[in-house]
Amino acid sequence: MPDSKMRILVVDDFSTMRRIVRNLLKELGFTNVDEAEDGAIALQKLNGDTFEFVITDWNMPNMDGLTLLQTVRSTPTLKHLPVLMITAEAKKENIIAAAQAGASGYIVKPFTAATLSEKLNKIFEKMAAA
Amino acid sequence: MSDFAGMEDLLQDFLQEAGDLLSDVDNKLVDLEKSPDDRGLLNDIFRGFHTIKGGAGFLNATELVTLCHRTETLFDKLRNGELALSPELMDMIMAATKGVRDMFGDLSSGVQPSPAPADLLASLKAAAEGQPKPDAAPQENAGSANGPDWEALHAAVSGQPQTAVSGEVIPAVAARSDAGSGARDAGSNEARSNVPAVPQAQKSGGAGGGGRRVEVARENTIRVDTARLDQVLNLSGEIGLTKNRLTSLRADILAGKNDSETLHALDQAISQLDLLVSDLQNSVMKTRMQPIGRLFQKYPRIARDLARQLGKDVELVLAGEETEVDKNMIEDLSDPLIHLIRNAVDHGVESPEERAAAGKSAKSLVRLEARQEGDHIVIIVADDGHGMAPESIRAKAVEKGLISEEEANTLDDRQSFNLILLPGFSTKTQISDVSGRGVGMDVVKTNIQKLNGSIEIRSEVGKGSVFLISLPLTLAILPVLLVLLGDQPFALPLSLVREILPIERDKVQEVGGKSTLVVRGEILPVIPLVRLLGWPQERYPEYGVLMQTAERSFILGVDSFAGRDDAVIKSLEDFRPHGVAGVTTLSNGQIVLILDMRELLTDPGNAISGRVPALEAG
Repeated sequence: MPDSKMRILVVDDFSTMRRIVRNLLKELGFTNVDEAEDGAIALQKLNGDTFEFVITDWNMPNMDGLTLLQTVRSTPTLKHLPVLMITAEAKKENIIAAAQAGASGYIVKPFTAATLSEKLNKIFEKMAAA
Repeated sequence: MSDFAGMEDLLQDFLQEAGDLLSDVDNKLVDLEKSPDDRGLLNDIFRGFHTIKGGAGFLNATELVTLCHRTETLFDKLRNGELALSPELMDMIMAATKGVRDMFGDLSSGVQPSPAPADLLASLKAAAEGQPKPDAAPQENAGSANGPDWEALHAAVSGQPQTAVSGEVIPAVAARSDAGSGARDAGSNEARSNVPAVPQAQKSGGAGGGGRRVEVARENTIRVDTARLDQVLNLSGEIGLTKNRLTSLRADILAGKNDSETLHALDQAISQLDLLVSDLQNSVMKTRMQPIGRLFQKYPRIARDLARQLGKDVELVLAGEETEVDKNMIEDLSDPLIHLIRNAVDHGVESPEERAAAGKSAKSLVRLEARQEGDHIVIIVADDGHGMAPESIRAKAVEKGLISEEEANTLDDRQSFNLILLPGFSTKTQISDVSGRGVGMDVVKTNIQKLNGSIEIRSEVGKGSVFLISLPLTLAILPVLLVLLGDQPFALPLSLVREILPIERDKVQEVGGKSTLVVRGEILPVIPLVRLLGWPQERYPEYGVLMQTAERSFILGVDSFAGRDDAVIKSLEDFRPHGVAGVTTLSNGQIVLILDMRELLTDPGNAISGRVPALEAG
């Protein structure tokens, strides 16, 4: 199933949160993780390097997660990249906006490694089915 | 015990980062008062609370999540223009920020915060619902268990068949309004399962709003620019190489090789080591240095709150925030600076009416500035208020019985201002609940002295007052002057030394049973070091060290000098003799006592005591 060597980009402006996500990923066996502080930096990294998965916060300065997602989807080289959105809100509008922008998944803070794993596996299943 | 077992690292990270974030929010709130429609500010503040909420969720700090969530909801409406900022709203927001800070205090002592005051939560909620929108039901809980079903929605929106086993199928986006409560399937209850019902660790009497903060543990982690760490690493590498060179040279020399080339190489290697070690010391010291702005950013809010409370219009202007200061010093400076700022706002500046009468602008300025001057850090708290009159300070001190009438008459203006640093001095006849309890200024002085610093006061009636704090760059390395009594060396902090002069026996005058010497028109007492130490005086000191502490100047009589040195202070924790600040080791291995001049001078047993130190001729 998923390759634990998979290169994952974690995008959040709050370094504590990046560390949390990173630690949860580590629990799941994913250690090849890089971080970005906002959407703009994330885009730079995505364009300059090869990543196989993006986990991004929604609310960030400079470029928010939704704009990052939209930009990824409209960039030919990146558009197939799975993107998991993290947000503090379980609001319908947010989920719909994320889905319409082409998010591969949506996870609400706070979450455990088990939930993250479940979300990731769902996305992997879909990718395998596609 | 701690409610955060296993999460200590995470908690530390969170507190540091979220603390910075909250200070930032505080400052933006002060800015927001000036420009209430600034979308950028509203957005930033919204995001601040949002981010704190997100982190708090992972710590299971439900009360913090709730408070942040309500405040954030309010800001969401503000930034969308659904609500307008009013002074009442602003006060509520300020109270919420304070609530968040109090909760950080609880967290840092390892306990889950108790709930925010119920009336605050209620008014935040009411305010956010103030202009109701038809279908916008307020979001109660961030990690709500009744969250919409992502999988179903995703399928509905993207038109993909659902992969998850689903209990209900949502036919179209149009049906989404029901999704929140209706569709529940295996994939949707993660929010519930993720938030284990953490029993609230309520402290005894934890319901109250005020005075429930447990003593906050001192932060013992530090954020260091990686470039600085790299430099330390780099230098230690270089030192390793030089050590290898020395080892090989030692082998050569031990084997009897002592030609000029070998000795020259040895000389070179040692010089290099010398340079590298002092570079390394510097670099390591720099890792402890933090911009003082981290401390300063707390103050505009404090000044604002206080000014509002007192009905004054005060702007706190910051300068030199990038000035770097030793981390420990930053923490120890916090209280004295708060006091000085409160003092400036409370006692220093006038009310708008008084200012108008004096022909001044209604808004008063309090300036907080830091800068580096040579090997010292200077911090200035200045106000443009009514200033202080030396005469009335002297009169007050006499009235309070701190000094006698005669003593008062001998004081110049600078010495008069120093009187306000005495314990029990307070010039305000009316005691406000803010400052002015007569404790404080002397505590400020004591705290600054603990940091080997000094405080100076300047003031001009009608124009304002300036408090000038001078501090050494670091507490770890102390430049000292080595003096000798016989052949016994002692180290004196160089920061107190103004000059060195020979003591000519025939120039010394006895005034009132005390030896004095006139230096450039200034009459200074001569105090032999032997007497301070309680040693028998065998001969008259040949040299004098003109020293200046915050309160006084005097000439310390010694036999001779052994040079200057950068002392690495080793403290004598348990058996510190009176007047000894610590010890250091000389290059020849000799151990030297570093003298604490202030303590030596205030020894109740020695001959120069019995008077208030600030009043010595100086």
